Amino acid sequence: MRPENYPSVSQPPSNEFELFYGPNHPGIEGNYALKVRVHGDEVTSARADGGYLHRGFEKLMEGRLWIQNIALVPRICVPDPVPMEVCYSLAVEELGGIEVPLRAQWIRVMQLELSRIAAHLFFFGGHAATTGMYTPMFWGITDRDLILDLFEELSGGRVYHIYNIPGGVRRDLPPGYLERVSKTLDYLESRLPDYDNLLFTNKVFVHRATGIGAMTQEQALDWGVTGPNLRATGLAFDVRRDDPYLVYDQLDFDIPVEAAGDAWARSLVRRSELKESLRILRQVVAKLPHIDGAIRAPIPNPLAWNLPAGDVYTRVESSKGELAYYVVSNGGDKPYRVHVRGPSAMHAVQVLEHLATGARIEDVAQIMFSLDACPPEVDR
Amino acid sequence: MSDIDYKDRGSLLNPLKSWAFFGRPPVTEPLEPRAASANYRGFHVNDWEKCVGCSTCQKVCDNAAITMVRIPGLPVDPVKGVRDERPAIDYGRCCWCGLCVDICPTGSLALSREYVHTCTEEQISSYFVLPDSSGMHGKPYGLGWAKTADADLVDLERQAMRELEPEQRIGNFAEIVAGYDDQQALLEASRCVQCGMCHDACPTHMHAPEYIRAIWQGQIEEAVHLIYETNPFAHVCGRVCTRRCETACSIGKRGEPIAIRWLKRYAMDAVPHERIKQIAAAGKATTASGRRVAIVGAGPAGLTAAFDLAKKGHAVTVFEALAQPGGMTRWGIPEYRLPYDRIDRDIDVIRSVGVDIRCNVRIGQDISLEQLRDGHDAVLIALGLQQGRQTRIPHSEHEKVFRAVDLLNKITAGEPFELPHCAVVIGGGNVAMDIARSLARMQKQQYGQVDVVVTALEDQQHFMADPDEIKEALEEGIVIRDNCGPQGCEISAGGKLIGLKTWKVLSIFDQHNRFAPSYDPAGETIHACDTVIEAIGQFSDTSLLGDALTESLEWNRGRLKIDAAGRTSESWLWAAGDMVNGPDVVTAVADGHRVAASIHAAMAVMEKTKPV
Amino acid sequence: MKLTTATPNNVSASLEFLLQEIPGLRTKWAGPRRLRVDLSAETLPALLALLKGRAGYVHLSAISCVDWPEQSEFELVYHLWSYELNVLVKAHIRIPRDPGVYLSVYDLYHPAAFFERDIHEMFGLYFEGSPDMGKFILTEWDGPPPMRKEFDSEAWVMNQFEWQDYRPDWLAEIEARGGGITTRPQDIRKDGKP
Repeated sequence: MRPENYPSVSQPPSNEFELFYGPNHPGIEGNYALKVRVHGDEVTSARADGGYLHRGFEKLMEGRLWIQNIALVPRICVPDPVPMEVCYSLAVEELGGIEVPLRAQWIRVMQLELSRIAAHLFFFGGHAATTGMYTPMFWGITDRDLILDLFEELSGGRVYHIYNIPGGVRRDLPPGYLERVSKTLDYLESRLPDYDNLLFTNKVFVHRATGIGAMTQEQALDWGVTGPNLRATGLAFDVRRDDPYLVYDQLDFDIPVEAAGDAWARSLVRRSELKESLRILRQVVAKLPHIDGAIRAPIPNPLAWNLPAGDVYTRVESSKGELAYYVVSNGGDKPYRVHVRGPSAMHAVQVLEHLATGARIEDVAQIMFSLDACPPEVDR
Repeated sequence: MSDIDYKDRGSLLNPLKSWAFFGRPPVTEPLEPRAASANYRGFHVNDWEKCVGCSTCQKVCDNAAITMVRIPGLPVDPVKGVRDERPAIDYGRCCWCGLCVDICPTGSLALSREYVHTCTEEQISSYFVLPDSSGMHGKPYGLGWAKTADADLVDLERQAMRELEPEQRIGNFAEIVAGYDDQQALLEASRCVQCGMCHDACPTHMHAPEYIRAIWQGQIEEAVHLIYETNPFAHVCGRVCTRRCETACSIGKRGEPIAIRWLKRYAMDAVPHERIKQIAAAGKATTASGRRVAIVGAGPAGLTAAFDLAKKGHAVTVFEALAQPGGMTRWGIPEYRLPYDRIDRDIDVIRSVGVDIRCNVRIGQDISLEQLRDGHDAVLIALGLQQGRQTRIPHSEHEKVFRAVDLLNKITAGEPFELPHCAVVIGGGNVAMDIARSLARMQKQQYGQVDVVVTALEDQQHFMADPDEIKEALEEGIVIRDNCGPQGCEISAGGKLIGLKTWKVLSIFDQHNRFAPSYDPAGETIHACDTVIEAIGQFSDTSLLGDALTESLEWNRGRLKIDAAGRTSESWLWAAGDMVNGPDVVTAVADGHRVAASIHAAMAVMEKTKPV
Repeated sequence: MKLTTATPNNVSASLEFLLQEIPGLRTKWAGPRRLRVDLSAETLPALLALLKGRAGYVHLSAISCVDWPEQSEFELVYHLWSYELNVLVKAHIRIPRDPGVYLSVYDLYHPAAFFERDIHEMFGLYFEGSPDMGKFILTEWDGPPPMRKEFDSEAWVMNQFEWQDYRPDWLAEIEARGGGITTRPQDIRKDGKP
């Protein structure tokens, strides 16, 4: 919404204020706003206000060839773009009955987990920053950049990889790539104690995060919470394990949970997940050299490619939760309809409204970030 | 599960451990621009030597960032499939996905390893770039994202055509090529990138991209409709066209071109004949013009012109000297390449739009050309090249020395002739292959074994014949001896033909590029045989014109002089086809269209000046 | 923690058995964990209540809307997940495009509030009983619901915005020599053919 169109602030009682929290605030990744009414320090009501990043992706996709959309989908979630690419590709592959070569599946898992680590590092930094601690933010961004280096080498793009394509992936691994992945994993693992010192075992941060934005498991299920936010309320559910895709059923990993459902629990879950992702990546690095073969199933000329009529709902576990694509084909060379179900659509709207209501104003930013919502997923 | 307990409250001292970072050396990055990774998707680099201006990059661009720009001075060659256009990129729209690189049929496009371009508002035009091989800012950052074999989005392999094996086909005249089935045709059609190079290269400019797309969409009748817009010899061209379209095809730059000829054949075979007649008749004039046109020669040129003129409402009569229409497609091309019933279908379609074809009428003998002139508003002669050229080497007047066209004629007509036990063919073109392979089949049928030798001046790589013809001829047991210049026929004491003497060819053309073969007599070979067949070209017999007309017409080096539209110096007489424009079916079809348009235009002029 | 683990076989049998309670319903398995259900719009609330109450379908993953103007229908697809059965149920219903009104399922599934509000905004389909049908994303938009098929967003963009007019020197030089732009991207946008 343009500032001149903001609704006029109604004349509140002298002890109540209406605040426009956003639309550009470090409390969330991207442009998003929360309209809050505060009574003293206490938020008495909160309304989410989205649309700042609306680019009509779903409509755009209906006008583009099946393959052209691969350039569009990563833009739906900038900090964690790989799940978008993979989820869209999985949908097209399921519609077209395309068998993805095993090597491509392992490469996809590698990217997905690298992307998850990058997103979680971003989250650590962001969550710390909303409590006033900026060093972990710089660290998080810097260490994430090492993963972006890996993506640049693999896909030719640092942020928008556009590397997954219906049928597989677009290039094979560069020579020596897995060794460099391995080195980066070693480095990131060695950095965890630093993060712990500054963040996870830092009394200030623990105190600031404990009890903030808490929800029970019952509330979480009622509000449609998924992903790490749901696992922080004690439900061990992960699409990777419970509705497996690619080769996740061949990998050994745990699903970290916490019971408290507050910002501290959500942060702890992500910290543990980062370690699990490192563990998965170690397995991938060990396995990939032994998986030969094509990196992409043969696909027809992209300019003349009809997919059989049908519809499919594919899900993956992104760093933020359950990401799903509902794709409908009417037998044509373009999608008839694509519906993107981003996890943040729940987290950034009604969950955020619920959690912010009754919170103290200084905690709102932390609540926003601790949900790790990605506004472009809401706006699409 | 976490190694930090939720209840662990941490310590105020822990963050202080990070003070240790003050003891570490700072990380310093140099200010110089750093080259991006080896796969980086930076700015476009286009190798103009490889780029043919096909605009496939523009079609795949999801952001409408690519504009095609014509650049005067660059090579243009429709026959080879080269345009003087190059892509320009709008970096205000480009998203660097690199799909253009992956789909580029020639492999000319790549992306560089350069990160940055920026400018002030006044320099906004610097966002619109015509990339060449020097890179965005002329700096040597090197190539990043480029074409790799496993990432290529162009399907370089065509659908394999099912064909008879050599042993299955040698003893008979059954058609060799089976044709595509529905699925193969769909897959083959889907390879097309719609660049239109085929359309530009085709002599009659067939709407190949459109009918290929229609086949892909399963709209086969629409494909037939598009085919008939430019070519009434659709069955014939679906089988024996010289397919310049495929030479020009962009996909053929690195891979196998789209099988455009076989797709046309598929469409024609897939639609019932009666339906094809309805489709071909679309757009026929509903009222007769009252004008009459006579056409001499029922070959591709004559009948194409007849088809066009009949659809325009003129009364067209075609006179054919031989027993059946079709010209060289029937009398020259063997049945294993082009079954006669397919020619019959094309001709039936042409007849169905109202063309009257009269066979066994030889103009100049049965009716004179002057009589035709007097009874019609226009006359078109499309005689073709029916006479075989002779080598005129010593003893070539022997009765066992034949012209290839004469023998092919006999084979089509079913006339008996003494089948050679051992034949030598002179010539390396398609006609030489046709006669050699026809004789080989008959030898197999009658004698049980093949003994045919083909000799030609050129080396085998430079034969005029289609490479497929050469390959198949070899498979069928025909012997090819290249670089052989015929010097004379060997005659026995009893007057029997016993062989052909050739010398090794040193060169075919002199320094002025004129035909002047030179030989090495030391490389003499006697090819033993009982028959020699000359297949070194044909010429047109224009004796039907008669002395008076021959005298009054203008000539150019022994060829009838015509204007660009095919009209001779006599205003009522047009000429078309191989006799004036050579040398293949599709060129004759193009000629037929051109001359029909000219005749139709002349009729319109007549409308104003001379009442019907 | 994880509630139960069910093997696909007995799950599919028991689900099928349960769904027999809803009349006129068609099921189709599209994989071991994907069940498609087609039913009438009137019976959908009963299905959702049944699934939520008796099969642990507590998670409404999404509601998708598909516009089928040729049939004058909207298709609504309710994607439901049971954390106990680990099977996704896709319930498909069709409702007339005109007047385009349906019932909210907010009382059963609170996430429906967002999806219904989104569908209302993008397709113009009204959900009776939904807590908020106010604008959320398209606050400045007065035009027709843009996700409807008849809204041509590209035509709207072409009409609304100018293409950038670049005048680079290289182009002026080429034009001076008689060349220049032959095919602009907008020339091929509609039918893919210049």
